[in-house]
Amino acid sequence: MVKYRKRLLAATAAIALAAGLAACGGGSDDKSPDNSPTGDAGAEGAKGGTLYYYIYAPYEHVDPQRTYVGVELTNFRRTIYRSLVAFPISEDADVANTPVPDLATDVGTKNDDATEWSFTIKDGVKWEDGQPITCDDFKYGASRVFATDVITGGPNYLLSYLDVPTDKSTGLPIYTGPYNSSPEGQAAFDKAITCDGNTITYKFNKPWPDFPLAVASLSMMDPYRKDKDQGAKSNYQMFSNGPYRIEGSMWNKNKGATFVRNDNYDETTDSTDIRMALPEEIVFNVGQTTETIYDQLIQDSGDAQYAVTSQRVPPAYYSQIVGDIENRSVLVPSPYVDYLVPNFRRLTDPAVREALKVATDAEGWINAGGGEKAYAPAESIVNPAVIGYQDNPAFSGPQAGDPDAAKKILDDAGVQTPYPIKFTYPQSDTADKQAAALRETWNKAGFDVTLDPLGDTYYDVVQQPDKDSDVMWAGWGSDWPSAITVTPPLFDSRPNLTANSDGQDYGAYKSDEFNKLVDEAANAADVDAQTAALQKADEVLGKDVAYIPLEIAQFYFLHGSKVTGYMNTPASSMYPDLGPIGVEQ
Amino acid sequence: MFAYVVRRLFIGVILLIVMSLVTFMLFFLMPQDPARVACGKNCSIAQIKQTEKALGYDKPALTQWVDFLQGVVVGREYPEDKTLREKAPELISDCAAPCLGYSRVNQVTVASEIKEAFPVSLSLAVLAFLMWIIGGVLFGVIAAVTKGTVIDRGIVALSLVFYAFPTFFIGLFLLKFIAIKWGLVDVPSYTTIAEGGIGGWLSNLFLPSLTLALFFMAGYVRMTRAFVLESMTEDYIRTARAKGLKRGPVLFKHTMRAALTPLVTMAGLDFAGLMGGAIITESVFNFNGLGKLVVDANVSYDLPTLIGLVVLLGAFVIVANIIVDVLYAVIDPRVRVA
Amino acid sequence: MTVQASNLESEHLPDPTGAPESDIAKIAGKSPTKLAMDRFRRDKLSMISFTVVAVYVLIGISAPFLVKFGVLDPTGFNKELVDPSTGGLPIGSYGGASWDHPFGVEPGTGRDVLSRLLYGVTFSLTIAISATIIAIVIGTVLGIISGFTGGWVDSIIGRAIDLTLSFPQTLMLLALSSMGVATVAKFMPGGESDNLPNGAYVVIVLGLFGWPGIARIIRGQVLSVREREFVDAAVLIGASRRRIYFKEILPNLWAPLLVTFTLTMPAYISAEAALSFLGVGIIPPTPTLGNILRSSINYSIGDFMFFFTPAFLIMVIVVSFNLLGDGIRDALDPKAAR
Repeated sequence: MVKYRKRLLAATAAIALAAGLAACGGGSDDKSPDNSPTGDAGAEGAKGGTLYYYIYAPYEHVDPQRTYVGVELTNFRRTIYRSLVAFPISEDADVANTPVPDLATDVGTKNDDATEWSFTIKDGVKWEDGQPITCDDFKYGASRVFATDVITGGPNYLLSYLDVPTDKSTGLPIYTGPYNSSPEGQAAFDKAITCDGNTITYKFNKPWPDFPLAVASLSMMDPYRKDKDQGAKSNYQMFSNGPYRIEGSMWNKNKGATFVRNDNYDETTDSTDIRMALPEEIVFNVGQTTETIYDQLIQDSGDAQYAVTSQRVPPAYYSQIVGDIENRSVLVPSPYVDYLVPNFRRLTDPAVREALKVATDAEGWINAGGGEKAYAPAESIVNPAVIGYQDNPAFSGPQAGDPDAAKKILDDAGVQTPYPIKFTYPQSDTADKQAAALRETWNKAGFDVTLDPLGDTYYDVVQQPDKDSDVMWAGWGSDWPSAITVTPPLFDSRPNLTANSDGQDYGAYKSDEFNKLVDEAANAADVDAQTAALQKADEVLGKDVAYIPLEIAQFYFLHGSKVTGYMNTPASSMYPDLGPIGVEQ
Repeated sequence: MFAYVVRRLFIGVILLIVMSLVTFMLFFLMPQDPARVACGKNCSIAQIKQTEKALGYDKPALTQWVDFLQGVVVGREYPEDKTLREKAPELISDCAAPCLGYSRVNQVTVASEIKEAFPVSLSLAVLAFLMWIIGGVLFGVIAAVTKGTVIDRGIVALSLVFYAFPTFFIGLFLLKFIAIKWGLVDVPSYTTIAEGGIGGWLSNLFLPSLTLALFFMAGYVRMTRAFVLESMTEDYIRTARAKGLKRGPVLFKHTMRAALTPLVTMAGLDFAGLMGGAIITESVFNFNGLGKLVVDANVSYDLPTLIGLVVLLGAFVIVANIIVDVLYAVIDPRVRVA
Repeated sequence: MTVQASNLESEHLPDPTGAPESDIAKIAGKSPTKLAMDRFRRDKLSMISFTVVAVYVLIGISAPFLVKFGVLDPTGFNKELVDPSTGGLPIGSYGGASWDHPFGVEPGTGRDVLSRLLYGVTFSLTIAISATIIAIVIGTVLGIISGFTGGWVDSIIGRAIDLTLSFPQTLMLLALSSMGVATVAKFMPGGESDNLPNGAYVVIVLGLFGWPGIARIIRGQVLSVREREFVDAAVLIGASRRRIYFKEILPNLWAPLLVTFTLTMPAYISAEAALSFLGVGIIPPTPTLGNILRSSINYSIGDFMFFFTPAFLIMVIVVSFNLLGDGIRDALDPKAAR
């Protein structure tokens, strides 16, 4: 999953208040303001100026193979890191979820069962020092993912997909990365990814029909220059192949960085569908609190006029966003879904889980968390932005919770009430209020709820097999817009449940029926068959109450008055898309 | 005198060594696994083990401490792995003496983190120090001279009130109202003299320094006031006044001199403590000084940085104490034999 | 504080000859304690601050009962009093103040602000008192031992004091917090997120870093007390060490201890607030003045009263305790300058 930051939860929103947007023009249509001469400064969509990007929490990684947070991936994809394919700028999900060629000449060719993919790299694409980007750079980039002791924190899909044998004793692939692998490991890796001139071929041990989606979404397949690699030391180093380069080569974790033009970037190799690169400079400013960021954005003076942020408006500030300020705000659904997980080791009686589901007051949870500007109702664990989304029939209908009906279910099943349950969630001021709202209807239905707020080690605790929680909170977003990165990683018991950890299957859900459908989806050679199997799998989850959806977090953002081309697109995980953005001068 | 200084220094070094040992024990005897936290959320047991080894947390705390001390004296390299040195030297980070550790989170030596953050904290400390010393002494004297009047009471009460409000309340108030809402000054963000000139440096430091100064000033106002009042009753002051000397010169020549020694002592220790970073003020204003470094390191569980900082800040305090003691010895020779 | 050993109290009084002769004549026949009490009562500021402190303590004691009997409701939601369309700001002016909720309601939840503040006083005071007691107990015991025994014991305790003082306290509290709370939780009922371990962690660490100053003061006092005849007498008749420490010496220390207590309390009340800002300590919904203030930061501009009130309450109690401490010290030692 694209990591979902807990602290983002504290805040926000529903339907795009497209007011300020309409004038800014879509990025995916044919107009290419990019090509207009820099001379007409002041016009919208013109090149030049400095854009400010306010960030609160420091980025843990900017190394492409280690970056795993949605907003970071999209920010760098639009500015510094190009890849084989990329998502185009568009607010239309169907367009935005279809990768277009970036460094590759096309979107890739696969063999019949989608276990082999090839791409040809464009001529004339260069690194920031002027050297051409080669097939070996791509291969080297992928190899770094295997150095799990050095390159930590990033997505590791390649470890299970790429056709490299597994070492029985460690459970990890025998190839251990470019730094200190055994010759056998190296040989196995060299067979799995091959270079033929400018053509790179990936061989997988199972079908990967939507591989281009993964390439576009994540930066794990990005090229990396071997001579620039210093292993863990490269964590904050950025070596560009995009329209910008970083000033001073290092990202400062607690300050951010300034992106300036990359002289060796040739815009003819790129498309304005992916990046327009309008601002002369982009300043990433890390560390101000969300409140200070919004104080400045609301005031709209100085640098803040040219600023965007990935922080959501805190509920405390909603009342200040009125009048002209409201025209600078957007409200869009995020790609994340928050949900509850019943612990199947403890709530073994299906009637209890059913009653819990029926009594869950998702509306109360939403209101306590800031209302419709913070959350939209969810009817599945899969986000509607994902390809092939459908409502889960188990969770459609009113969401205010029906304690009477739930009580009846408990009584009919002969469950003794009050039935004690413990609800575990990551502590925050907002979450405390939300949990208290849930407890209200649960208690009415005949449960006796203990609230169990946890600190920073939340996921460590709920992953433990011997936890005594009955219901747990969790949040998830797809890694690329396919349900295969949602339900299988969360509910397939086989990779998740081990002696020491429940992995991401926090509720220890185990169903052969579900696993079979996952296999069907994983082995489907085309996306339609995969989607159909996953929809059926989600229905199984709903029937078993493997999860209870709470809401879709809403993105409620404000931007400075002199920002142009402001869009929140599926390609940018609904964060401000740096592709079409510019500033008035 | 020389022998005294040497002895104090020796004790100081011993104290530092013991302090670093206690620090290591405190951090490593706790039942939490640093490697697990460093490895991240989706880590398998095997990956955690690897991380543990890469970070050196698999060694006993005592060994890690010895390595640390050795690093301070002769420097070290991370990770300490001879085969890796040969195969992939680019993965090794050198940490020259005095090596305070290596932050795996930020991939730089702790010393270079400190080097970057220290000027911020020092600038803050210097400016705040000047503000509170000048303000504290001035208002203290005014209060003493106007003893019992509304001015006296007002000064004492106000300084106490500023001291008693939580620092972050004062800081946030200044930031949110003075800087943002009323726009009287720009939102402060640290600029070096090289970047913004003396003017830019000062104006950005103004609000955070003021926050600190308001907190510290109370003590100096009260102390100055007390000393001035006390010494005004001393015989030699009475004599000076009786000789016909004016009130002003007496006040500053005779009275203040008596008050100066304890004030300087207190100021020296406060200043030394502040050089180690004002955790709350730096957090409120988002100044990347040592205090903010502590907060950030704590959030990201950056153990080497935390330990390096504890030892460094401890060293500040110990050195400041030695300086104060030596100064005392210079002033009052009797101390040396004690 | 009640005093038992009536015949020994005079021992502590420094230099009774310092009082003007006329005073002595006027109040002859009164015990020194009575003298001090009279002086204290005559001082208006001391009496006011004493009253304020007493009110806070009364609130602190009674709030839990008022909560139990439903008079105060610090945790109950009043969703109808906040407006979801404004992100949960209270409906009505002055933070939604009404007859039922004189201080308004909390944004987002509609919890009664007054109830939370009053109940918060309980927890803030409990933390401050507990930490103060730990610091004083450790400081007093070590101070007595150090002062009375002298020799190598004295120097070891002296070095321990130096060592403890050289640790940057706030840094340690912050840096050890995540691991420390987990450790404390192992010895207590409740998990890492419960109030008991979080509160206990703050109390323990504040106490453990707070004793050195107290030990120094007590040691100084003991040095003079141990020269008195009654101590010699006790030694001569072969009284045990423990008896001498706690039955002979301790009763003579109540005055400095009382002053230390009243001056340590406000420091720890402030510390609790500062630590809340950094996310250490008791977490909501259980209120402390510090965490109420912390959760009101977001509303500093939107709902200023909600931001200001907790800070104001902290300020008032900190000022009052400081003035009370000063007043007690002055009453006990009339020569001390005010």
